[in-house]
Amino acid sequence: MLIYILKRLGLMVLTFVTIFFICFVMIRLLPVNVDTGMKDPEIFYRTMVAQGRMRMTENGSYENIPVLEQLGTFLARLFDPSNDHRWGYSYKIEWLSSPDEVLFKRLPPTVMINIFSMLISTPIGIAIGIYMALRKNKWQDHLLSVLVMLFISVPSFVYAFLLQVLFGYTWPILPPLMANIQYGYFTPEVIASMVLPVMSMSFSSIAGFARYTRAELTEVLTSDFMLLARTKGLTKAQATVRHAFRNSLVPIFPMILGEIIAVLSGSLIIENIFSVPGVGALYLQSIQSRDYDVFQFVSMFYIAIGLIGTIVVDVSYGIVDPRIRMGGGK
Amino acid sequence: MEKLENRRNPELFQEIPDRTNLHDAAFETRPVSFLEDSLKRFAKNKASIVAAIIIFLIALYAIIVPFASPKSRVDTTKYPAGFRDDKFAYALPYNQMFKGTGFWDGTKVMAYNENSYKALQSNDSNHERFVELDHVVTQTIAAKKVSQYYVRIDTYAVGNFTVTLSQSEYAKLVEHDKEMAKADKDYKSIIKPMIDVSSYLAKYRATMEEDGQAEGTITDVLDKMKTFYNQNQDIYYEMSAKQSNGNYTSNSFTAVFDAQGKVIPIYATDEQGNYVYVEVQADNYTVRVDYYDYLTYTLGFEPRFLFGANDSGQDICLRLAEGARFSLLLGIGISAINFIIGLIWGAVSGYYGGRVDMIMERVTDIIANIPSIIVLTICGIQFTNNIALKHAIGQTGIIILGFLVAFVYSGWVGVAGTTRMQFYRFKGQEYVLASRTLGAKDRRLIFKHILPNAIGTLVTSSVLMIPGVIFSESSLSFLGIIDFSSSGINSIGVLLNEGQHAGLQNNPHVLLFPCLVISLLMISFNLFGNGLRDAFNTSLKGSED
Repeated sequence: MLIYILKRLGLMVLTFVTIFFICFVMIRLLPVNVDTGMKDPEIFYRTMVAQGRMRMTENGSYENIPVLEQLGTFLARLFDPSNDHRWGYSYKIEWLSSPDEVLFKRLPPTVMINIFSMLISTPIGIAIGIYMALRKNKWQDHLLSVLVMLFISVPSFVYAFLLQVLFGYTWPILPPLMANIQYGYFTPEVIASMVLPVMSMSFSSIAGFARYTRAELTEVLTSDFMLLARTKGLTKAQATVRHAFRNSLVPIFPMILGEIIAVLSGSLIIENIFSVPGVGALYLQSIQSRDYDVFQFVSMFYIAIGLIGTIVVDVSYGIVDPRIRMGGGK
Repeated sequence: MEKLENRRNPELFQEIPDRTNLHDAAFETRPVSFLEDSLKRFAKNKASIVAAIIIFLIALYAIIVPFASPKSRVDTTKYPAGFRDDKFAYALPYNQMFKGTGFWDGTKVMAYNENSYKALQSNDSNHERFVELDHVVTQTIAAKKVSQYYVRIDTYAVGNFTVTLSQSEYAKLVEHDKEMAKADKDYKSIIKPMIDVSSYLAKYRATMEEDGQAEGTITDVLDKMKTFYNQNQDIYYEMSAKQSNGNYTSNSFTAVFDAQGKVIPIYATDEQGNYVYVEVQADNYTVRVDYYDYLTYTLGFEPRFLFGANDSGQDICLRLAEGARFSLLLGIGISAINFIIGLIWGAVSGYYGGRVDMIMERVTDIIANIPSIIVLTICGIQFTNNIALKHAIGQTGIIILGFLVAFVYSGWVGVAGTTRMQFYRFKGQEYVLASRTLGAKDRRLIFKHILPNAIGTLVTSSVLMIPGVIFSESSLSFLGIIDFSSSGINSIGVLLNEGQHAGLQNNPHVLLFPCLVISLLMISFNLFGNGLRDAFNTSLKGSED
């Protein structure tokens, strides 16, 4: 198991580094527009020269250093402990702060909303899935299946809008936009304003969990060991809870773990609609204002979360159910 | 024992003469092909059939409406991109069938204070803005009763506006009015008497001077009032700047009422006291017309919008059809490209296996992990800055190219993975070995023997890719990461973006219909895809009979 994990980690690092090099080169090749949204072009040039990204030509203008050379300087600076701005500077979003600082400032709202959404959707989704499996092919199951199908298919921004119109404007019981977080994250206003984004994020993951749990549990319920358990004299409830449910959790548990990892990455659309000042909003902002260093850092952050999530899911399969060996030999 | 008896029964068995060649008899029933079998299974799945019909209807809507709608066939010199008129900005959805019900009939309830409520009831255009009084809320503020009138108003009754015509246009309009009046006694003329703001302002100046106002206040009030009349051309009556406390303000004006509680019109009159209907300056004939009727007369159709209008008065129904057409074409096109690339990649990687497979897998791993949003952003910026490319394919071309690259670049990875799995499944089977023993080349094995077996799964996965592409495109253009605004392309995402900017609070209808169409598309494509998957799954054969 340990060897397997190490092997996966090694491959992950390899993939990550390759992706990083590709992204680095592509992003560094983008033209920088000094005239728009730049506070002070002179300081911009000075920091660019200090980072080894530009050099002054003889006639006083600045020119880009070849990208591969930039990559070398970047790596040297990245592992230099005396350097404060390892990841460069944010020139447009927050003048001259480093991208990692900008990102970590935006993490709390995203994490809060995602955690709330996960805490709500996981138990509800699993409960609905169990109920559907136990009532398989009865009207309750059919009704819920239709609802689950609807919630999985309909894009999340549609119900975000719907909730915003219904509860924010037509029947104003909840704030339609995220409240100001500068007085803390746990003020009543902020909590109230989080209800709508959390709800619109939860619907599709509730539906996802319900569908998955139903599929797993119906399969387990029809397997032979359930019949054995019943013949041994267990009641239906005992057999379902002790044998079927536990076994059906095997593929669901890694799914939950994956969600926990994904808590860090914000949804671009939901954060945009409810104006949540989170990671997704920062990503969008960095694209729109062309703040390349922030864009690069946030992109790598998202990629790292994606890669780590995959590994955790794969490894946890093996831990939850020792019979499963992902990627094992014959 | 009985069976043995039967065997000897000469009636049941026939003796065959020697030396006759025996052959298998040909099937008398028609053979059922794989496709027919799948089709039969698909037809049993009612949800998929309904979904297929809905997709078909949306496609029909997207194809027919842009050609059939009269709003797309207007004069292109005046309206370059279909009919638009900002006087109808945010007009509400209107359907003839629901007229007078208060739902889907272009009316909405708005709050008015007492003065504006009284003024609202007077109207010199042909269409009543005032539909009905919904309810009144009376509050006591500072010992005074203040009423808010909630009135249902018609968003299409925009009132009268001045338009400038050429001589021939003017003559035609007058002729039209005359003829229609002859044919129909109740006909209301399109041309309305001109209003004379300047003489009213002179009159109002005198009133203010009488009231002992300072010159500075007077000029300020009159200036603002002039602008106000210019901006609100449907107001044809006297307005006052005097507030209830006796002070004058240049910020808000209230209607003046006579003793009967009627507004006092300020129509222009000539020396004989007749109304003036036209102002002529060189070849320019300025007339005041009932705008709705005037548009109906010039365009040949009534400016009504089934799904309402957006911020610049464009028909949402038409734009949505164009958007759906673009989104569908894009979805199908990109899925087709991804299908082909993924098929080839997956076939090679799955068929050859071993080291080839491992290297190709690493490549797809890397590609799949770079989010397409990064590629999209980078392509967008690079292509926009490439002047040679811009000349070659134009602004629209650049946006579409960037989009294509971003979606094709990682979109095929899913298809490649499915294909690879299918190849692993089939390549070790005996029939492939048999074919190989008979000397079949790799190409023949791949395309003739393995691929046809895998095609069902692959088609399904590529059909399920279409809603994914539509969803990504609409969410990216909704977020503004793809910016179609400079290219004149409509997509569902552009309309969603427009809807969000229109404000959910005041104009939810702008967002409602695009949301509805995209949800329907998503649901139907998913159901349709699932139906296809079941239909192509031969192991389900006969399971539900």
